[in-house]
Amino acid sequence: MGLKGHAAIIGTAQYKPEKYATAPKMFHLEQVADLAAQALRDAGLRPEDLDGLVINGPQFHEASVFVPAMAAEYLGLRLNFAEVVDLGGCTSVGMVWRAAAAIELGLCQAVLCVLPARMAPLGPDEDPSWMARAMRFGGHSTAFGAPEAEFDLPYGHMGQNTGYAMIAQRYAAQYGYDPVAMAKIAVDQRTNAQANPQAMFYGQPLTIEQVLASKRVADPLHVLEIVMPVAGGAAMIIASKEVAARARKRPAFITGFGEHLAFKSPSYAADMLHTPIGPASRRAFEMAGLKPADVDAAQIYDCYTITALLTLEDAGFCAKGEGMAFVREHDLTWRGDFPMNTHGGQLSFGQAGSAGGMSQVIEAVTQIAGVAGERQLGRCDNVYVSGTGGVMSEQGALILQGA
Amino acid sequence: MSNNKPMPVPTEISAPFWEGLKAKRLLIQQCTACAHWVFYPRRHCPACLAHDLAWREVEGSATLYSYTLTRIPTLPDFMDEMPQKLAVVELAEGVRINTNLVGLAEDEIHIGMPLKPVFAQVDAKGNRLLRFTGLDKDAVNLEQLPAVDSEPVPVSSQPEPRKIDFNDAASLQALVSEQFSDWSNSIVVDQALIDAFAQLSGDDYWIHTDPERARLQSPFGGTIAHGALVQVLQSRMKLALDFEVTGFSTQINYGSDRLRFPAPVPAGSRIHSRARVKQVELLPRGTQLTLELNTHVVGHDRPSVINDLVILYRA
Repeated sequence: MGLKGHAAIIGTAQYKPEKYATAPKMFHLEQVADLAAQALRDAGLRPEDLDGLVINGPQFHEASVFVPAMAAEYLGLRLNFAEVVDLGGCTSVGMVWRAAAAIELGLCQAVLCVLPARMAPLGPDEDPSWMARAMRFGGHSTAFGAPEAEFDLPYGHMGQNTGYAMIAQRYAAQYGYDPVAMAKIAVDQRTNAQANPQAMFYGQPLTIEQVLASKRVADPLHVLEIVMPVAGGAAMIIASKEVAARARKRPAFITGFGEHLAFKSPSYAADMLHTPIGPASRRAFEMAGLKPADVDAAQIYDCYTITALLTLEDAGFCAKGEGMAFVREHDLTWRGDFPMNTHGGQLSFGQAGSAGGMSQVIEAVTQIAGVAGERQLGRCDNVYVSGTGGVMSEQGALILQGA
Repeated sequence: MSNNKPMPVPTEISAPFWEGLKAKRLLIQQCTACAHWVFYPRRHCPACLAHDLAWREVEGSATLYSYTLTRIPTLPDFMDEMPQKLAVVELAEGVRINTNLVGLAEDEIHIGMPLKPVFAQVDAKGNRLLRFTGLDKDAVNLEQLPAVDSEPVPVSSQPEPRKIDFNDAASLQALVSEQFSDWSNSIVVDQALIDAFAQLSGDDYWIHTDPERARLQSPFGGTIAHGALVQVLQSRMKLALDFEVTGFSTQINYGSDRLRFPAPVPAGSRIHSRARVKQVELLPRGTQLTLELNTHVVGHDRPSVINDLVILYRA
């Protein structure tokens, strides 16, 4: 069962993260066209080589239904495979394996995976306060009959911060908690960002003291343990091994994946501290025939420091309850003995909506291709990538390998 | 209590739960096919998908599964609950519920602690939410709406203010500072107060007075107080100033050099204020003291009112 490793990521494009206020405003269709052109150039392919598309349905500006057909029409693509993925921050990881599976099934040979995440221009009759109203409840449904509208929002349970905070609190009660180790996750990643001129926090080093002195948002989380939302967007080209043979750079073959989800609110998880990334990662490693110790780098979805910590444990990089010690004992920077989120992670690179998770996939591809510049790892053949949506509700893992 | 907090809208499926709370009874579903307990209400059992769930009254004994105290409200409307004590509790039947803790100090809260339900009244219509508290607490006492505090509460243990004569130019000049005073007492700006001000002033624009429309159309998700109302509520807040001007015969509100309303005050917000002496001038008509008064929603960095108030002390 699983992938044979006959599909690879061969081209990428990513907008430099910017503040929403100053980023260019572009229609999502235009962002898709722009990112596609850039990713095709990176891969060394022509538009007519594309015959597959994976795109977001939720949060697509110009339409919420019929998105793939509209995008195909706008870009002039003829598709044999089209797919919408709705997995929040896990969307990028979910896109990669779906594209690879479609290629291995012989449906298509080159797939564009794309997530536009800059804001669109406001229409002449559109009221800017519409945005404020739409943002009031974040990602929560307020529809009549939506369980969260009825049983969470009236109590003030909303947004991601408090859900992650409650997971961290339970972790503390069960295994103990070292705020310094948690801060070190953010600090090591900030060190990585100092070697990545594209990162939002390039040129702004960070200390453990600064993290611990930053404002508490919801106990025990500090604001510097939480990603900053930015404008951005990203795309990847995934192709068959035949197409990959004429790629401009070293391809990153998709040799393993796993996906797991069972709830939206972690309050209803069987055990809040055994996250879905566990089963997802086990499947990915098994499919690729690798163990956690075999990877040269881990690009771990890091909306919060606690997300990274629990992924280190549940993916098997260390034992349950030993994540804090693992972080203390390892150097997580690109120079270190456990290179993690070598682009800075989303904590220091910036989180461009659901495209934030693509930054982790793209960094894995960049390291495997050997074009990461100052932060390039000496050896990078096997990379683990994780994706997390919601409040550790939908999670996925990938194993990418250089041939 | 904010008027703008999201409220549950019962469905045909969930109505027995909410009706139960109104009667101070906790009703939870159990699958008659597989005996699995179910929360939140559904039509199908999530363990076996049987379409056969029965409502059962349970005691509500529970343990704390996890919690967090918020330092920034999850929605501005929850400012009056700060820090919000958000919790996941596990009922003895095994189901988990997202809820709030009430009547517990921060250091009394521990994961695993036993809890009991509080049928918390949240509006005048008798609607209730299911909250939880410690076993040694008086759950009935915690059911009531928090008392609306709109009377000035003097700040306790404030040192006796220094008395400065209104002709003492040197001492008055020494008051000028960039540093603001401590906060005043806080008061709640509720819909009743906003409605009264709308009637008095004639400004009955819907964004202040129509909670239903404002919930749908206001960028703030509900009604907000008039800027002018928040400005005049200054009189209900006792400023924590460490001086008192004396020796004059009359004190006149001479107006304002600058008046701004940079941030909204959603209905139900708690506000407080602070001040600094911005300028002092001894003029032929009297001593003119400019106080920069800032009123904030409690916990917000951005002021809702900035008022450079000019006070004239006459001999």
